[in-house]
Amino acid sequence: MRDDPQVVALVTRASGGDQGAWHELVDRYAPLVYTICTRYRLSNHDIEDVGQNVWLLLVEQLGKLREPAALPGWLATTTARECLRVVTAANKSGRLGTGLDDSVLFVDDTAIDEEILMAERNAALRAAFAELPPRCQQLLSMLLRDPPCSYAEIHAELGIPVGSIGPQRARCLDRLRRSSALAALGANESKINIRGGEPGA
Amino acid sequence: MRDGWDDERLLAALGEAIRASQAVPSWFVETGKNAFAWHNIDAELAQLTYDSSTDMERTAAVRSETASIRALTFTSAHLSLELEVTENSLLGQIIPPRPGALEIHTRAGEISTTEVDEIGCFAVDPIPDSPFRLRCRTADGTDVLTGWIAI
Repeated sequence: MRDDPQVVALVTRASGGDQGAWHELVDRYAPLVYTICTRYRLSNHDIEDVGQNVWLLLVEQLGKLREPAALPGWLATTTARECLRVVTAANKSGRLGTGLDDSVLFVDDTAIDEEILMAERNAALRAAFAELPPRCQQLLSMLLRDPPCSYAEIHAELGIPVGSIGPQRARCLDRLRRSSALAALGANESKINIRGGEPGA
Repeated sequence: MRDGWDDERLLAALGEAIRASQAVPSWFVETGKNAFAWHNIDAELAQLTYDSSTDMERTAAVRSETASIRALTFTSAHLSLELEVTENSLLGQIIPPRPGALEIHTRAGEISTTEVDEIGCFAVDPIPDSPFRLRCRTADGTDVLTGWIAI
């Protein structure tokens, strides 16, 4: 994943002034930056502050990133550093009152590494999903609703015979599995545990 | 991993990926997208080289809990900006002294301008209450932009 050609291409294009590529980068990695902020339990105001700093720093660094593929790591450590500064400043000024405990100050590297891997995997899955034909996207979206749609509801909305839903689901997932976006994911994957995934949910 | 995941795990992982993206507020994403306005600003970046309130760490943006008097220095290859925060305003001087114009850029993208006099002095009043950066264009054509400042 460290040499994900998509990320390298986006960084190169954005650094050349392509705003669309920048927007894609932000869409792709906003969840990573946001999740790390929530780990530090920042207020929305502080999250916005940290986000602004992180993206502005990245804009300035775009042309200087020695290894564009290492962007997720750069974003994660930069975000963690910015969060820590906000937390420390708030703590000094007593703004957080008694709500602050030590665990906030020590979001450890392992947790950050895990966020990076998760973010890369999630970004690849979303990209793979976006490559699917609309029909597959609709079907999988209905299956992913909370609670998941019944086959009868899927039949009513998409007009797929109930008996074909199972096979179509399998074909769509197979396409997802074989997509080029997911192919970029490497051996790191086996180290990640799926969190909170219910079968069929 | 592609062969390692059965349908149930793959679908669950996809659901998680989509939910992770949906959990991000749209204002957060917009903030990130808007940052591109700063790409390729044709100005020399001035780094924070001194901050009386922290004094220990170089950072792109600085913050302080109180509005007490504070001194900051930003340095680029061609000039330095020395800033002094007083109760009500922000006073500054360009070193070496020379006249020009000073722009105050806010995060929201607003720009206000103030004059830099013959001996390089300027005042920013009132002090912006959200982070800002200063861009200094001198009469001799030097164009310098500071990092973010929060006071």
